Amino acid sequence: MLNSTLTLLRKFDVLIIAGLFLLLTPIISMDRSIDFMIFCIFVLAYDLLYGYMGRLSFGHMLYLGVGAYAFTLSGAYLSGNPFLALLIAVASGAVVGLILGPIIVRTTGACFALINLAFNQVGLFLAMVAFAPWTGGEDGMSAVFNKVWIFDFSKHTVVFYFSLVCLILVVWLVRRLTGSLFGILLRGIKENETRVQFLGYNTFAVKMVAFIVSTSLSAFAGALFILNYSYVTTSFIDPLRSVEVIFASLIGGAGSVYGALVGGVCYKLISNYLPNYIQRWEMFLGAVMLLLVFKFRAGVWGYVVSALKRYEQPAEESKPHSEVSR
Amino acid sequence: MISTLAYGLTVGGIFYIISIGLSLTFGTMRIVNFAHALVYTLGAYILAASLQNLGVGFFVSAIIAVIAVIPISYLIERFVIRRLYGESVDYAIIATYAVLLIGVDAIKWIWGAIPIPLSDPISATVALGGVQLPVYRLVIILISLLIFAGLEIFFGRTVMGKIIVAGLEDKEAVASLGISVDKYFAAAFTLGSCLAALGGVLYAPITAVNPYMGFQVLLICFAVVIVGGLGSIRGTFVAAFALGMVMSITGRFYGPAADTMVFVVMGIVLIFKPIEA
Repeated sequence: MLNSTLTLLRKFDVLIIAGLFLLLTPIISMDRSIDFMIFCIFVLAYDLLYGYMGRLSFGHMLYLGVGAYAFTLSGAYLSGNPFLALLIAVASGAVVGLILGPIIVRTTGACFALINLAFNQVGLFLAMVAFAPWTGGEDGMSAVFNKVWIFDFSKHTVVFYFSLVCLILVVWLVRRLTGSLFGILLRGIKENETRVQFLGYNTFAVKMVAFIVSTSLSAFAGALFILNYSYVTTSFIDPLRSVEVIFASLIGGAGSVYGALVGGVCYKLISNYLPNYIQRWEMFLGAVMLLLVFKFRAGVWGYVVSALKRYEQPAEESKPHSEVSR
Repeated sequence: MISTLAYGLTVGGIFYIISIGLSLTFGTMRIVNFAHALVYTLGAYILAASLQNLGVGFFVSAIIAVIAVIPISYLIERFVIRRLYGESVDYAIIATYAVLLIGVDAIKWIWGAIPIPLSDPISATVALGGVQLPVYRLVIILISLLIFAGLEIFFGRTVMGKIIVAGLEDKEAVASLGISVDKYFAAAFTLGSCLAALGGVLYAPITAVNPYMGFQVLLICFAVVIVGGLGSIRGTFVAAFALGMVMSITGRFYGPAADTMVFVVMGIVLIFKPIEA
């Protein structure tokens, strides 16, 4: 009974996610809801590297920032079409991944984390100082886009539904990717890369593809953030903010699409509401992170899954029992 | 020219002093220790606090700061780092970063977020080749050279130092000789933390003391450790001064790029010499 319900739920999970966000919207206001959904896209992109491939990046804000700046700059200097700008943002995320990938992807563990951080620092410098005449430096710049057909992105309702559709598409894409042979290879690389190589797979190519998908999706999330705020500042490329997405991944449970979504929403809820009640919320965040690392590594979604398994197991055990009695 | 050289050697010396601890923790415990930045920042804050409140001189305050971080580093080692032995690097990074977040927030709680400016303890300057140089910078270079010499003796001549170096090479082999390696690693961790606090103390009069001073320096020190080779004590020495010179020469031509150039050098080094970690 429960098993069949679960399979049914899994089949329509995309609709359920959309429905939950629609339910969440009247509770937390539409602006927040848009922000939450776009952040979830970023967490999904990040989790592809961290949760599935086991590579912790400490500078993923770089790719988000590349998307954000590419989107804004294309709007300011190329054309007012928001869709062209989105395309350019995703493409520039992919190009950055393609250029940096061969250097970054070869490293593992601490080096992977730190080299991302270093490149992020370089990116911050480029956006803040070197390209300041074009990007507006620390002051940032505003993004203005034309109305295309029914897509008038100055209206929040339009941005809301557009982000919702984007989130659904990204969830579908990431699920397709991780459910395929490619996803199995990613998990194989996480466990033991040498063995995957031994089976005859080119792990470098797999890692490159995963890295580029992750950077492009992060850039996409960055572009959507700007679509929502219509203003870009250097805070979108600040390496110090990289910890947000790591925390979101951890709290939700790394290595699962639903975990990433739960984590994204949980983090955003904490960061939006907690400062109203606790003044020292960074301290609280640090304490929760320590607790997660030492006690609750599976995250919120991990515990939901294990609880469900406990429900499923008695059901499976009772089945052969009933057959015997028959 | 001479002032560029002197500045490069000064920051190089400070980077060296701070990076030793990072290099030791990475070499001994395979842990990337973000909490190192916290100890560094605390060193600078305790210095500022004791200068303002206790009414003692710079030298005494510096000693107070270096000694005061010993219990703090013990707590970090005992309750966070020791639980991370043999864990994956990711969890170590996240856990030590969490400690850094908590610590920085505590610093903001106690001292506030407003930067505290400190005056140069030795305000004299000396003429060298026609350029006026602050004596304080020369003192920093001298101290870093003394520390290098001291560490060479410590790691090369004393039993404790030799155990730590042997543990860097092969932990199991040392443990199989009946030596409790972890105790020595804890000592190495405390030593590294004291040096980080000293780095904070020495750097404080050059920059302003603020809660986030650790983050930027930590990034550069990671670059130093990576360029110098993880766990290599002499490599760290060479890399610190080399990157210090890179910073000061870049800064001479185009100021804002000084920090970034360090990471570019690190990227180039990683392309040609990837590190298995």
